[in-house]
Amino acid sequence: MLTVQGLTKTFSNGKGIRDITFTVNKGEVFGFLGPNGAGKSTTIRHLMGFMKPDRGHAAICGLDVWKAQGTVQKHVGYLPGEIAFVDGMTGIAFLDFMADMQGLKDKGKRGELIRRLQFDAHTPIRKMSKGMKQKVGIVAAFMHSPEVIILDEPTSGLDPLMQKVFIELVLEEKQRGTTFLMSSHSFPEIERTCDRAAIIKDGNLVAVKNIHELQSMQRKLFDVVFENKKDALRFRTSGLPVENYDDFRVRVAIRGNYNSFIEEAAKYRIRSMDVFTQNLEDIFMDYYDREEQQP
Amino acid sequence: MNFPLFKQMIKVNAKGMMNYAFGSAFYILLIIWLYPGIAKNTQALNDIVKSMPEGVNNAFGLNSGFASAEAFISGEYYGLILVLILSIVCVQMSTRLMAGMVDQGSMAYLLSTPTTRAKVSTTQALVLITSLIVIVGVTTLAGFLGEAWFLGDSYPFNGERFLHLNLVAFMLFFAIGGLTFLVSCLSNDEKKALGISGLVAFGFFTIDLVAKISDKLSWMKSLTLFTLYRPSEIVAGQAEWGRISLVLLAVGLLSFGLGIVLFKRRDLPL
Repeated sequence: MLTVQGLTKTFSNGKGIRDITFTVNKGEVFGFLGPNGAGKSTTIRHLMGFMKPDRGHAAICGLDVWKAQGTVQKHVGYLPGEIAFVDGMTGIAFLDFMADMQGLKDKGKRGELIRRLQFDAHTPIRKMSKGMKQKVGIVAAFMHSPEVIILDEPTSGLDPLMQKVFIELVLEEKQRGTTFLMSSHSFPEIERTCDRAAIIKDGNLVAVKNIHELQSMQRKLFDVVFENKKDALRFRTSGLPVENYDDFRVRVAIRGNYNSFIEEAAKYRIRSMDVFTQNLEDIFMDYYDREEQQP
Repeated sequence: MNFPLFKQMIKVNAKGMMNYAFGSAFYILLIIWLYPGIAKNTQALNDIVKSMPEGVNNAFGLNSGFASAEAFISGEYYGLILVLILSIVCVQMSTRLMAGMVDQGSMAYLLSTPTTRAKVSTTQALVLITSLIVIVGVTTLAGFLGEAWFLGDSYPFNGERFLHLNLVAFMLFFAIGGLTFLVSCLSNDEKKALGISGLVAFGFFTIDLVAKISDKLSWMKSLTLFTLYRPSEIVAGQAEWGRISLVLLAVGLLSFGLGIVLFKRRDLPL
């Protein structure tokens, strides 16, 4: 449905993407993970035909995205990473305009989307908050029921409730056979919707894995606070990978070995426990490190 | 050409376009209204003009004299005010229509729909051209209206030459609009596009002015499109308005075409 083959682009500042290759199958939700500046948006810009690759090519529905610019877009819905609308319009006027541009006649789905995302579409866009603009963008990307939907950081600016609605929307569309590519710098966001994900760093694709593999690869930090010092000491020396500690508290990094961690911790009286949210590099730290060691 | 986009862009730009059109119409009416008062003192005014340095007269189009209404209008209005208005329109609009939308990012939405880049840029070019037609058109109509209201049969007015003058003025800004549009098509940065196309439009104008004032600098004539636009000669019937229009048309078509082609091929930072 969507193929990227050896895509390479170098910018004048030396940054860019190198030899990106992956395929997204029909009806699949594909995540595109990477820290900020890793090349996610650059890859997506190529997929949208905004940039010409130095080498390699990208295709959607079998059509080369650079050469068939204008035709490919019949099959695609797109949410840009940075939302900017045409000046001086209300949300609804913008959506009307986009519907005209897309050649969309039936506005039933649009109304439904607006209702579910709960926003006042008659607000002038320049008065909208970031989250509200994001909602308008999501409606514009979904309303014409495209076969492929490309979303660049779709949930940024959405509150948790709306993130949930968004995930529901994605899963419903997926049921209908819609293919998704969405980028994110947050693993939990990808985790809830995607079947597979690619990890990109410094312009290189480091892995394409299904989501369960990625889940087993991710590192979680647990802060365990014990009731007495002796327990803390014993726990610390039990062989679990300890990040740091003080008298009562031990922070361990767990990757896949949840059972041994829980068994060990269950031996002691525990006062409290915390899981840390980490950025992407930290979550896949071991993985990134291993990649870097291989020349 | 993409009709929904054209409609939308005209809607967004309608207010500005109308402001300029009516501003221009008002101004030309004012100048025509002044003419009867001037005409009474034609001889005295012509004497004053003769006493001024030749270069200054050239530069500000005073040589056309005050003997006929269109000569007066050509000097007072078409020589400076209209040129300034249309230059501003060309620079501002072409920047907003292309570079502005790329810089802001709203171009991403246009290009995410089933339309080609060539169609988008052609549509934007047509929006600019439409605005120029509207402004020059309203100005021309106001000229004829003013003639009917304020001058009637008592003062000489050559309607045909007045039309030629408007046609060449339009063609000049079709060409200049083409150049500013070309700059806009190639820019990612709105401010930069504004700066460069401003420099092109007003640079041409200034070079023309300088070349007219000083004999030593008259070689600079060949550096500017304004050399082809001589309002006083057109109303005096001395200019080859047809050939000049064709040259300007060619320059305009070439620049618009080049802008559209290059926009199609370049990387967009959207």
